[in-house]
Amino acid sequence: MTMLPSTTVPSSRDPRHTPAWRSWSDPLLVIAVVLALWQTGSTLGWLQTVRFPAPTRLAQSLWELIVDGYPQGVTLGTHFAITMQRIVGGFLAAVALALPIGWLIGWYPALDRLTGTSVAFCRSVATLSLLPLALIWFGTGEASKLFLIGYGCFWVMLSNVIAAVQQVDPVLIRAARTMDANRFDIFLRVVVPAALPQIFAGARIALGVGFMVIVGAEMIGTIVGLGALIMEARTFYRSDITMVGMFVLGALAFAIGSGLEWIEKRLMPWHERVRRSGP
Amino acid sequence: MSSPATTVQAPLSVSQANGHARCKIAIEQVTKRFATDGPATAPVLGGVSLAVRENEFIVLLGRSGCGKTTLLNIVAGLEHASSGMVRVDDAPVTGPGAGKGMVFQQSALFPWLTARQNVMFAARKRLPDRVARTAMADELLDLVGLDNAGDKYPFELSGGMQQRVAIARALALDPQILLMDEPFGALDELTRIEMQNELLRVWSARRKTVIFVTHSIWEGLMLADRILVLAPRPGRIVLERQLPQTRPRKRSDPELIALYDDIWQSLQ
Repeated sequence: MTMLPSTTVPSSRDPRHTPAWRSWSDPLLVIAVVLALWQTGSTLGWLQTVRFPAPTRLAQSLWELIVDGYPQGVTLGTHFAITMQRIVGGFLAAVALALPIGWLIGWYPALDRLTGTSVAFCRSVATLSLLPLALIWFGTGEASKLFLIGYGCFWVMLSNVIAAVQQVDPVLIRAARTMDANRFDIFLRVVVPAALPQIFAGARIALGVGFMVIVGAEMIGTIVGLGALIMEARTFYRSDITMVGMFVLGALAFAIGSGLEWIEKRLMPWHERVRRSGP
Repeated sequence: MSSPATTVQAPLSVSQANGHARCKIAIEQVTKRFATDGPATAPVLGGVSLAVRENEFIVLLGRSGCGKTTLLNIVAGLEHASSGMVRVDDAPVTGPGAGKGMVFQQSALFPWLTARQNVMFAARKRLPDRVARTAMADELLDLVGLDNAGDKYPFELSGGMQQRVAIARALALDPQILLMDEPFGALDELTRIEMQNELLRVWSARRKTVIFVTHSIWEGLMLADRILVLAPRPGRIVLERQLPQTRPRKRSDPELIALYDDIWQSLQ
């Protein structure tokens, strides 16, 4: 095959001509440029440092958070661990509930007819609008936070599990029936693997919802957790701490999302969406 | 050896030439009416009868909606007839399985299994031993001309290759009957002709009783021992033609061209 000159075909558009290391070096370059511009802007006084602290200031704040903590004594590690615990707890509870219920609703059309509207409605309720109710029901402790995260994750997960089961290609089930598959075989060897990609997609969306909800859920009744950290710092005009908290929260969500994607690739090397998406 | 190679291989000339070969599949006055049909609608199938001889290659031909796929599904045991019955070896068909292999229009391969695993799936009850099952799968992939594709997932295979795997998978059941529902309908013309020749080659190696559904007249003329034309609502057989025993056949054969005109007329 002849290589076309790069003036006619930009090589970056064609994955075959792009060396592997560029897939991570290019995005890092973009981040470096943004940070450099930001730092320059702060140094030259274009950005008000109280409202928009410079990257170097943020690095100092990060260190302060790790060592001394904010408020004094509550270190970043603690905030991180508590938030992680709440998200994972709420998320796992939601998944554990949504899988069997979604399976039943997806499998029996009559159940879907009965519950479809309710599921769609509950999913449409903005989770944080339940915050006052959650406080009345569960108090200001851990239970109300788990409830809110669980609620947000559950309905997203549920509707995805239902859709995943409903969208299993009936020809696969018929093919399995011609190959002496009983009901158990069809469930375990056909419906489960066929539904798996969308179930995973649902889990990723649900996790995203969990991260949206956590900040709000941690606004009240706690000073521990990344959401609480952000709110607490805002009260005292510590934009730097707020920003660091935001970045850590973002990094956490990014790491968990990438982890799920990695599992997805291992588990389903045959799946189209997995093949197309990059690392 | 427990591989499908042990299947009885009756030479075609014997079963066909004497004309009174054993009846393998008996379709007796089969009607089908869908629950959604109003009382004024003609049934999908209106009393179809057909006797298929052992190792005969039957082609069911007709327009979309003439009930040919429904008839095939009833023979497969995937659907129930509203009245009438289908017997295989004199035993009424009550459900799928039991020696009836099926190939669908879309490959219907399991996307999460490799080509070899797809073929092995079909034999998991028949060959509990994994080593024997693997050997059998490789032998069948070899037979359909895919000796190097065993580890590939369906998405890595072209449409024609996917249908080859689907044929190997159906053969892995070691069925006496092969039911094919427009298996080459989604392929391009050239691949389609190639696959027809491949099917005949495989069929001559592993003799089966075949019912093949298509809406392509030429496909029927290239493959069939006997062609049956179905007309829609109520689905019924309107034409039956025996074909010459020569294979491979040429499209320029005047006998075939005459048959083509016959069949075309019957479809009007």
